[in-house]
Amino acid sequence: MTDPILSLSDVHKSFGPIEVLHGVNFALRPGEVHALIGENGAGKSTTMKILAGYLSQTDGEVIFEGNPIRFDHSDEAEDLGIIMIHQEFNLAEHLAVDQNIFLGRELKKGWRLDHGEMRRRSAELLQRLDCRVDPATQVNRISVPDKQMVEIAKALSRDARVLIMDEPTAVLTERETEVLFEQIERLREQGVAILYTSHKLSEVKRIADRVTVLRDGTMVRSGMVEEFSEHDMATAMVGRELSDLFPPKAEGGAETVLEVRNVSVPGMVENASLNLHRGEVLGIGGLVGSGRTELAEAIAGLRPRDGEVTVKGTALPPGDISAAVKAGLVYLTEDRKGAGLLLEKTLRENLTLPLLSEFGNPLINRRKEEAALSKAIEDFAIRAPDRGMAVGDLSGGNQQKLLLAKTLLSNPEIVIIDEPTRGIDIGTKQQIYQLIADLAAEGRSIIVISSEMPELIGLADRVVVMHSGEITGEVSGADVNEQRIVKLAMGMDAEPEGTAA
Amino acid sequence: MKITLVATTALAGALALPAFAQTIGVSIPAATHGWAGALNYHAERTVERLEETYPDMDFVLTTTSDPGTQVSDLEDMVATRGIDALVVLPFESEPLTGPIQRIAESGTWVTVVDRGLAQDGIEDLYVAGDNMSFGQTAGQYFVDNLDSGAKLVVMRGIPSTVDNERVEGFEAALEGSDLEVLAMDHANWNRDNAFTLMQDYLSRFSEIDAVWAADDDQAVGALAAIEQAGRSGEMIVVGGAGMKEMVDRIRNGDETVPVNVTYPPSMISTAIEMTAVGASGAAPMTGEFIIASELITQDNAEDYYFEDSPY
Amino acid sequence: MTDATAKKPAARRSSVNLQAIGPVVALIVLVLIGISLSDNFLSYANVTNVLARSAFIGIIAVGMTFVITAGGLDLSVGSMAAFVAGVMIIAMNAMTERMGVTLPVVLLGMLIALFSGFAAGMINGLLITRAGIEAFIVTLGTMGIYRSLITWLADGGTLSIGYQMGEFYRPVYYGGIAGISWPIIVFALVAIIGEIAMRHTAFGRHCAAIGSNEKVARYSSVAVLRVRLITYALLGLLVGLAVVMYVPRLGSASSATGLLWELEAIAAVIIGGTLLKGGFGRVWGTVVGVLILSLIGNILNLTDFVSPYLNGAIQGVVIILAVVLQRNTGPAR
Repeated sequence: MTDPILSLSDVHKSFGPIEVLHGVNFALRPGEVHALIGENGAGKSTTMKILAGYLSQTDGEVIFEGNPIRFDHSDEAEDLGIIMIHQEFNLAEHLAVDQNIFLGRELKKGWRLDHGEMRRRSAELLQRLDCRVDPATQVNRISVPDKQMVEIAKALSRDARVLIMDEPTAVLTERETEVLFEQIERLREQGVAILYTSHKLSEVKRIADRVTVLRDGTMVRSGMVEEFSEHDMATAMVGRELSDLFPPKAEGGAETVLEVRNVSVPGMVENASLNLHRGEVLGIGGLVGSGRTELAEAIAGLRPRDGEVTVKGTALPPGDISAAVKAGLVYLTEDRKGAGLLLEKTLRENLTLPLLSEFGNPLINRRKEEAALSKAIEDFAIRAPDRGMAVGDLSGGNQQKLLLAKTLLSNPEIVIIDEPTRGIDIGTKQQIYQLIADLAAEGRSIIVISSEMPELIGLADRVVVMHSGEITGEVSGADVNEQRIVKLAMGMDAEPEGTAA
Repeated sequence: MKITLVATTALAGALALPAFAQTIGVSIPAATHGWAGALNYHAERTVERLEETYPDMDFVLTTTSDPGTQVSDLEDMVATRGIDALVVLPFESEPLTGPIQRIAESGTWVTVVDRGLAQDGIEDLYVAGDNMSFGQTAGQYFVDNLDSGAKLVVMRGIPSTVDNERVEGFEAALEGSDLEVLAMDHANWNRDNAFTLMQDYLSRFSEIDAVWAADDDQAVGALAAIEQAGRSGEMIVVGGAGMKEMVDRIRNGDETVPVNVTYPPSMISTAIEMTAVGASGAAPMTGEFIIASELITQDNAEDYYFEDSPY
Repeated sequence: MTDATAKKPAARRSSVNLQAIGPVVALIVLVLIGISLSDNFLSYANVTNVLARSAFIGIIAVGMTFVITAGGLDLSVGSMAAFVAGVMIIAMNAMTERMGVTLPVVLLGMLIALFSGFAAGMINGLLITRAGIEAFIVTLGTMGIYRSLITWLADGGTLSIGYQMGEFYRPVYYGGIAGISWPIIVFALVAIIGEIAMRHTAFGRHCAAIGSNEKVARYSSVAVLRVRLITYALLGLLVGLAVVMYVPRLGSASSATGLLWELEAIAAVIIGGTLLKGGFGRVWGTVVGVLILSLIGNILNLTDFVSPYLNGAIQGVVIILAVVLQRNTGPAR
């Protein structure tokens, strides 16, 4: 076994009076992919930030090549080749891809910037990642997975010796994930030490050499990946036996509550039609960028559209979200931080925002708001150390639960949930799945959009699949399986129009 | 004032001769306060009148609110309108000296109005009011008419050369007298600022015998504050520049406003007219014309009251 | 819990306190300085003067608080005030000719001022929300337009209200109830209503939500464009109200009226703790900010503390200090 390049020895970390890491021991070795797994809030991010010099430990040591080291700034770590790719991208949105890749380390010809060389090298790096983005494109124009690739290209350009990746695959499709893994394998061969976190345990199994499980700031298990089954990992993370992840599927009634006819969003969705029955969980599958989100947003009145959307016989005007909400149709966004929650505001302010008029007019009844929050915290099992805290300080899972509570506040009959469990730990996932099943059992109708195949298959009784803006088919009952959905999603099994029941 | 008359007479005579076709550029500050407003009023009227009388003559009138724009305006005039003569009231002396010098060197006739350039000998003609005399006239009036030991407060304008010269003249007149200046602060030639400043002077000093507001806009603000405090009659207020309302009060024998000091905005008319004559070579018009400030009293107020002037 | 969950609440709580008292501390310090430097500082006349002269900027700044909280900006309020004052004076002079010096003329004049302000604010708001032009550009444009219009209306000079009418209208600035002058009463009412609207109504909450993250607000079915529009229209209306109190003071308007009021109003809002980028607003803080700005000028006038040439520097230092007092976390990240 090679010697560790970077390790933590009995590291403690406190924020104010609260200790979040209670003595973590941990070693990264050259040419090894090390997966760090744990529930949200287990201390993964803190551990990674200490390794990459963004935070300094309260106690214990960080050891680089055998010598204790203390970083005052992440730049010092970067100079040693320790590079971290953040879950929220660190890209300058208004600069071009190549400008981002070489940001702060611009190549120069004399005193002038060498644009040609930077562009050429960027193109080369992106090519290695099988990413077709033009290096001259502005970053705010490229898709989320492409941004991830740019981040990785940026790390590659720095000759990383230690690469720390915080959930790099959360926003990638399976194909893109595969490309990323090829790169990771290549880096591993070159002797780079890689630390990697993910909530997708199958990926961990697939790519990691070594696994460390954190729970509540303590290292509970560590070993070679062969020693773990996925089930072992999940159990170690949660600290208890996990029963079945998915509750039994609900079968919808006959009554059609939502009818979508020939809905088009220019350039995004073409002639999409579907029906939703009472008490049913309908899945919408397809690759990222296939128009799923755009279709949902068009239905919910968040985008201009052509075509008809009818809720229980009443047509909804396009582009009018309040009309949709009034008709009992709500949409839960996939972009939790960008479009779902006000991160600097408190839980209470977020919860009641869509329905303020219900909390008193003209003056808001604070007590009524607090009561609603108490109810939401209880109903959705939201874990917040302090009711007055900013939502941005909550863990991802708790944010998602709050977003659910907020979206469901108006007691809607139809709920469209886009990526219900993105970036969420397995324990919370299970709670959310149960919640979706409960909603359906109460007679509400649910549409679930997901990139995670098991999620679609586990939740939905019927799945509509989209491919480049069009609905390519629908599967139901026993046909809801990975093979069928993937084929439709790739556009390989297109059925004629009008299959939607 | 007298010189204005002389010049106008000369012009009337000179222009009886057939004038050359020529373009005259006029660049003055925008109407950001009362006096500048009157300046604009007089400039426009003069230009209109001359254009009507002498169709061959062409005028380019621009107004600016900062020195930078004024420089660009001047460059545009030379480049695109090919002016033969320039009448300019420089926004500030220093930054405009260079650009005006280049215009003068290219052979264009240059008349500078009111604010002198930083370097002598550039302009063909200099027409100006006398800021020293403006301050001195007011100061002299106080020395002559106030009881010994009287207490004064002074409102200054926007910190600038003009303001400094006026205050210098005022202080020179007061020298050797036993009048006491309690305080001197800037009210920026603005009514609202003057109102506020006067309120605070009134809170601060229980005894004030006279206010030198130095400008009639400032005097309006000061008077309103004095009235609000119920201390009218305790003090006199002397403004400056001959605003219509002030001259009217003097004419009617107002106790609080006994006199005013002139600083005629009509000097721009004089300058334009003299330039028209001088640049055409019809009559020799080079040199300096300094228009001294005069005291307006109840006796001569009628001569300084212009019904249809905006100021 | 997460690293984040654990670390921030503690820091946040203490910062909230300091943020809240920062401007108040600055105000108290200024009052103490005033008392120590001048015997007349606390006199009835001086206190009344300072409060009354704060009223114009204050009333406008309350409206500005909502605009800035919702992530907007309005640079046109100073010019708008001058323009509205000009329109009001011209209208009142015209009406006086026909109807004489009567109460209806004053009331109509006030209505015209309020309406013109409201209309001007609506124009800003519509250009920003419907035409989708940056608030900075729109209001920079209208700032120049209104400033030119007043200069044009006044023919480069000063518009004055007829003498008799002026005397009749005068008490609206100089009069009052129980020794408290009208501008102070109106300012106080506007501030109290504004504070309630900001903290306890859906409108205030919506402004903060839009300023914090417009997309989240839109996805939460907040009528983003309408709320934005209302903030500008409301600000315009308050400019009209400020003009109603301003005109009787000197009875005139010129191109120098309301010069730099927009910057003073914005400065007051920021000193008060409202975030310039939007998302959080505090009306009572704005009131404290306005008083701080007024007091600096007042103290400098009451004393020979520094050369008058340095007045601007003192103001600048106090403004920056008042804001620094609110930041206990070092440089903003």
